[in-house]
Amino acid sequence: MRALSTIIALVLLAAPAAAQFPTRPPAPLPLEPTLFPPFVEFELENGLRVVLVSSEKQPVLSLSLSVLGGATHDPAGKSGTADLVAGLLTKGAGTRSAEQIAADIERVGGSLGASAGQDFLTLNATVLRDDRELAFSLMADALLRPTFPPSELELLRTQSLSALALEKSQPDAIASRAFARALYGDHPYGRRPTEASVTAITRSDLVAFHASRVQPGQALLVIAGAIDSTEAHRLVEQSFGAWVRRFPPTPPMRPAPQRATSEILLVHRPGSVQSNILVGNTTWLPTDTRGYALALANQVLGGASDARLFQILREQKGWTYGAYSGVTRTRGLGYFSASAEVRTEVTDSALVELLLQVRRMGSEPLDFEEFERQKQTLVGRFPLQIETADQVAAQVARARLLGLATDYVQTYRERLSAVTREQAQAAARAGMRADAALIVVVGDGNLVRELLERIAPVTMVDVEGNPIAPTQPVAPVVVPSRPLEIDRWRMTPATDSFTVLVQGQAFGHQVSALERFGDGWQYTEQSVLGTLIQQQTTVRFSAAAAMWSVEQSGLFQGQELRLSVRYGDGTVTGEGITPGGQGGMQPVRYTAVPIPEGTVDDNALQALLPYFNWAPNASFTVAVFASGKGEVEQRTFRVVAEEVVSVPLGTFAAYRVSYTGGDAPGTYWIELTAPHRLLKFGPSGAPLEIVRVR
Amino acid sequence: MRLRVLVPSLIAAALPLVAPRAQAPEPVHVESFTLANGLRVHFVEDHSAQVVAVNVWYDVGSRNERPGRTGFAHLFEHMMFQGSANVGKAEHGQLVERAGGQYNGSTAPDRTNYYNTVPSNRLNLALWLEADRMRSLAVTAENLANQQEAVKEERRMRFDNQPYFGAFVDSVPLVYDRDRCFAYAHSIIGSMGDLEAATVEDVQGFFDLYYAPNNATLVVVGDFDPGQARRLVSDYFGGIHRGPLPPAVACEPMPTVGSEMVKRVADANATLPAILMVFRTVPPAHVDFPALELLSTILGTGESSRLNRTLVRDAKLAVAAQALYNPFGPMRGTGLFGALAIANQGVDVDTLHTRLMQLLLAAGGSITADELTKAKNAWRAQTIFGRQQAIAVSEAVHYAAMFLGSPEAVNTDAARYGAVTLADLRRVARTYLRPENSLTLLIVPEGR
Repeated sequence: MRALSTIIALVLLAAPAAAQFPTRPPAPLPLEPTLFPPFVEFELENGLRVVLVSSEKQPVLSLSLSVLGGATHDPAGKSGTADLVAGLLTKGAGTRSAEQIAADIERVGGSLGASAGQDFLTLNATVLRDDRELAFSLMADALLRPTFPPSELELLRTQSLSALALEKSQPDAIASRAFARALYGDHPYGRRPTEASVTAITRSDLVAFHASRVQPGQALLVIAGAIDSTEAHRLVEQSFGAWVRRFPPTPPMRPAPQRATSEILLVHRPGSVQSNILVGNTTWLPTDTRGYALALANQVLGGASDARLFQILREQKGWTYGAYSGVTRTRGLGYFSASAEVRTEVTDSALVELLLQVRRMGSEPLDFEEFERQKQTLVGRFPLQIETADQVAAQVARARLLGLATDYVQTYRERLSAVTREQAQAAARAGMRADAALIVVVGDGNLVRELLERIAPVTMVDVEGNPIAPTQPVAPVVVPSRPLEIDRWRMTPATDSFTVLVQGQAFGHQVSALERFGDGWQYTEQSVLGTLIQQQTTVRFSAAAAMWSVEQSGLFQGQELRLSVRYGDGTVTGEGITPGGQGGMQPVRYTAVPIPEGTVDDNALQALLPYFNWAPNASFTVAVFASGKGEVEQRTFRVVAEEVVSVPLGTFAAYRVSYTGGDAPGTYWIELTAPHRLLKFGPSGAPLEIVRVR
Repeated sequence: MRLRVLVPSLIAAALPLVAPRAQAPEPVHVESFTLANGLRVHFVEDHSAQVVAVNVWYDVGSRNERPGRTGFAHLFEHMMFQGSANVGKAEHGQLVERAGGQYNGSTAPDRTNYYNTVPSNRLNLALWLEADRMRSLAVTAENLANQQEAVKEERRMRFDNQPYFGAFVDSVPLVYDRDRCFAYAHSIIGSMGDLEAATVEDVQGFFDLYYAPNNATLVVVGDFDPGQARRLVSDYFGGIHRGPLPPAVACEPMPTVGSEMVKRVADANATLPAILMVFRTVPPAHVDFPALELLSTILGTGESSRLNRTLVRDAKLAVAAQALYNPFGPMRGTGLFGALAIANQGVDVDTLHTRLMQLLLAAGGSITADELTKAKNAWRAQTIFGRQQAIAVSEAVHYAAMFLGSPEAVNTDAARYGAVTLADLRRVARTYLRPENSLTLLIVPEGR
């Protein structure tokens, strides 16, 4: 026999690391406080504002100059003007031709380009430090002295028209175009270039647009990288000091249309193998302080891969490769949107689920743990957003361009951290409107139209936006009996334990467990009430709470009790011996009894109650199949009060829920906040209470 | 409102993450060591921002796949996010995001990478997560079935429902001979039939063979203390068992002379015809590689490139034209030089093809010294721009280690590009850009 010490040594050698490997994620290491990196701001006499972020990390310099000349300012009927102006700024300026500009910047390995967004036209340049004079000189030429050569206009126009044609083959581009037009209507944010509008634009339109929109008093220059303040001042003054200040009128923003109910715009794309779904509504001005709370609500809904949309639509359902939501801020009215690209055959299911999840954000309190972790994500992400000098500069620029508070970038994280769950829910209620949403679906209209009509009124158009009449009369809209809207997303394995009290004395107990079973769930419940009854029940059902089976066995006053029930194809079949009305036993047998969609077995109710969408004054009417009797009953659950209850588990704020329908009306007390545990229940008029122990 | 950039971004979106091909003149200090189980580790300290990148490359990609078993490397990338002994399904991403970080993975012909950027105080989390899945991935039937569906959906979304991508991904590998080099003669996403046939045993076998520490390299870049990081790496990765030696990849170098291949592909999603020409080239360590990359810049990167000036601006035959150098990522075997042009409205695809071929053939005799200087500057500038983020530096170190033979090559590769002469450029143009070394895809809108 080996010495004990040898054996111990061998054991230690055999699996040292396996023993040491932590089974929980390690706790965060200490972090130095992240301060927003320093930056400098100054203004020229002509009103040009400058933001400077100096960094010697790499010998790189980036410049970005924005003027208030985005697509919003396109003349009527000439959408695309700002785009063409932006495209032509670098196609001939000062004494350089388009070829010379491209050759000069590419010769030093730099980049120069302009683009027009909704609000702003922005010119960007990136170069190595040694090429800064060139970068400033090209920027100033392009912005202040563009020549708009007619041949370049025609080339760019041709390219734009080709790109518009290409867009028609891209479902995501089709969806976002249709969404913007329908969301904003005649508001400038809704306009998009078309073949007609791009064709109508003349060179004098571009010259006029440039003359009126490119103004120093409405411009912001951002400088980031390897340059000090003295050199930056010198180059800015040299390049932009002579820019003359004038004061163009800023057209007032028109209000965007308000939607009272949800509607679907179906863009028919024959043969599409998937549907692009985009749901949303307009929101607020960027200065609205609810923006922080809405950003957090959005994060919970669809801001990340652990957010609800991704978890449900991709991870649970496998309907899509990704599902996200976003809040877009512009100088004017912003918007909220949620999107998913799904297989054609699940288009309607995915849309219903998407809308349900949007609605829940405003209609029910946010889970504390979920809210806090999503807040941590948003707040914690900040160091990655300011890793490089031009990222820092972009953060400052955005705040300035949107007219946010002067200390926005420095206080952003603190303000975000201070948002409460209640504020996020209130912001979601106002800013995420499942009841008044614009829904755009790009997909095969022949396959999805009828399904979508069951969800909201549908207008079908082709990719050009022209209405398509139904080729055949569409069957009258049948609103199906809605499946019970239980909150599948929250369902989680659990073990519960209750004591049965008769006249305040413990008389028995009930232990139940909810476990995963294949794609669905298995609920088992064991009840012992003195010598009166001992029974065990197993109910299986799908993730969507579609019933699969019930098995029950036990003794009732010493006599055998059993029940075996199968659900499927809209019917239920069962057989067994159950307690009858007069205390005796009676056989039951029923075959293929038709039941409405969404019917729940009465033995499953206790398992499902915590996952109703509980809220003040909520009321649910549920089709319940009393499988011991073989009958469908409508039962109604109504929140009648909020009160504090004490049970052996503890003291809780709870909804008092009365239920009617079935043999014995009664009362449930459901925990006020998620996970909405069942705390106590009992029939009306009997000295019987079942209270939660664990 | 992004008309101008729409076409290039469309192409970029189709491609996998491409490792940086170029290194900067500024030196990077790499500290390297190897654990007893064979895991190679490279550290680069940089305290300019409070972030750290943790990037693991496994020496496995689509090139390791066998006939009938294609798409495995990519399927596996999905499996790596399905949980391990101490990390739940999809929890990797959740934990990184909650820490304020970013993460992803990608599959290329020669490697599969898993990268995380986190605030510097969460270095331990990123290392722990990578170690847990390296030692204990959850290969289950449920995860496999789920990810088989996810990959099919990815294919539908990224390829089957978008113009050009499907043709591009499926047909480019045809430039390789299946019998001589199956490694590169199939697509990364693989055959959907092969994917469906994958069993749990197949996938477990793949993990055991390729996802062992001795087949992996870990690079950490950013704001961290090397002593502490070394302890963490040793604590978390040290106990993982060494795996068997993976079999060698069978791929004979392809000759640069064969017969010209032209393939016409109908594309129901396209509204404009497009042409893609692909030429067989060399691996990164080959002496001709820098010259070929600079040649691709001259021909097809930027507005002043030859393809853009000639086809788009002057002749107006194309709405976009560009070169694609190793579009699926670098390869230790025969590489790819591509040229892509999307036809302008009303332009016949054969006219565009003729003109594109003429341009490429002319390169051998007409490249100028000015163009060479421009390409070298562009390479240097892009390399420096690419050093601004920790994650990009980590990719550069990995690239040097795998494709150039040493992480230190991150500092010496620039000299190879600097030494390229005009004669080199003309020689590689004449050697590689010839019809008998090419595959041409003519992608035409279906029914037109």
